[in-house]
Amino acid sequence: MDFFDIIKEGTGEGFADSLFKVQDSDGKLLTLRGEVTTQIARMLASRARDETRLFYITNCVKYIDSDASGQREYWQAGAELIGGDAASSDAEAIALALSILDSIGLNGAQIDVGSVGLFRYVLNYFGVSDFEGVIRAVKRKSVDDLRGISMNPRALEMFIYMISRRGGIEVIDKLSEMADGDLGGQKGYFRKLFRLLDAYGCAGRVKIDLGTLREMKYYNGIIFEIFLGGIGTPLGGGGRYDAMMKEFGLEESRATGFAISVDTCIRALESCNFSFNSKERPLGIFFLEGYEEAAIALARRLRANGKGCYVSAYNGEREGVLVSEGVLDLSTGKELQLEGMGGL
Amino acid sequence: MSGELIIAIPNKGRLKEPAVKLLAKMGILTDGSDREYLSKTTDREVNVLSVRAADIPVYVYYGIADLGITGKDIISEKGLDLYEIMDLGFGKCDLVVAVRKEMPYKSPSDIPQGSRVATEFSNITKRYFDGLGIQVEIIELRGAMEIAPSLGLADAIVDLTSTGVTLERNGLKSIGKILKSSARLICNKVSYKTKYSAIEMVTTKMRDA
Repeated sequence: MDFFDIIKEGTGEGFADSLFKVQDSDGKLLTLRGEVTTQIARMLASRARDETRLFYITNCVKYIDSDASGQREYWQAGAELIGGDAASSDAEAIALALSILDSIGLNGAQIDVGSVGLFRYVLNYFGVSDFEGVIRAVKRKSVDDLRGISMNPRALEMFIYMISRRGGIEVIDKLSEMADGDLGGQKGYFRKLFRLLDAYGCAGRVKIDLGTLREMKYYNGIIFEIFLGGIGTPLGGGGRYDAMMKEFGLEESRATGFAISVDTCIRALESCNFSFNSKERPLGIFFLEGYEEAAIALARRLRANGKGCYVSAYNGEREGVLVSEGVLDLSTGKELQLEGMGGL
Repeated sequence: MSGELIIAIPNKGRLKEPAVKLLAKMGILTDGSDREYLSKTTDREVNVLSVRAADIPVYVYYGIADLGITGKDIISEKGLDLYEIMDLGFGKCDLVVAVRKEMPYKSPSDIPQGSRVATEFSNITKRYFDGLGIQVEIIELRGAMEIAPSLGLADAIVDLTSTGVTLERNGLKSIGKILKSSARLICNKVSYKTKYSAIEMVTTKMRDA
């Protein structure tokens, strides 16, 4: 739990609205955890340190407005890197996210990188005022909606390029040509990022799509989304949030991180027929009147051998085993030898 | 399957015919049997999924279909995270607030607090009246909205109109436009990235058609 006002500062109003809220004894509004990054930033802001690396695997809750966005409780696994050089830390975060997915067998995962910093730079450079309108259009990759917003034709041309081109570092080169400049230092940043990603051996799995924008207000540098072919929703995402650290009082701090949706990963693994051990069903041990003790004895023996089972009075079941004078396999109707029970 | 695209199109309603025609112009023809939900087409790369227009954003959001053709009104109502890559220009209509002709209201902000509003678009309607600072009771109906005011079920309706004839015939008048709608091509965010070249090919053909 945390104070609503503080969380809202970090995540922005849209996400904060979807959080579960309760009242503290003194009337202050609290929220249940809907994501983790804001709380980490707040905790670290009160005890500033040098470079810090943290991770978490935890459950979160939020209201779901729409009828198609899944569960109200969900699990997230994430990591945060506080401090360090921007391009170096971002490359490390992206490489870590991909290697985590590799390690659980989702090695086809890819990442698309966008940049709020670059986006803001273009908006300011051309003095575009309808910030919200442009964000909405860019998020939806709607060229037609962009055309409906009044702005400098060069700005429009750049935004259309930003949402319709997806590729490697050449996207940034072309953009800097269009803006006659180094894009406020962004060009150098992206060049270094891709050089380091190459050193991590994952540059080929990372693409630039400048239409990538995420819900959270706290991002101010790059934003990235992780996805896998055949799974319709992203596996996770992350980005740079120095601005939020500032919000919480750490002027000079830099921070980057990501979260992976554990639920989406499970869905992805299931879709490639990964079998979870927990799916093995426990064996039913049924008894006729007078044989309950014998059934319990059998269950104890099986459990000691690691076999899950439960004991219940026989009620006409067709699966499991029946304990009376001997032990009967209910699915085959055959008598089982007690010595062979370990093999059940 | 990974090379194949699935395009979801409406299986009935006002957007069905123009959507089928658009695909035909692009050389994508189904065998014409209306009973199949998912059918192959003359283009080996493209399959067509025929489902309700209102469900198309959901199919596309989950990636069951890669692309979909449906109305802007429906996309806004569902509010899902999707790419909306092209305005197809057909199926133009307005989502309006309408009341009985004899009512004195000139604009939606004249509607009194606590009024009952019948609509198929409850999310858009709630957002709209929240924005005006008017609390309304939303009555969700599925079609035949026009009769709600005269039967005393609602004080106002929020409904689609293209010519205004149906409103007129039911003794209603439009007092404000909430949204201009037309058919859009929507795209699953992951498909856009993993099937980029195939989608690019379809959208280029669509622009030229």
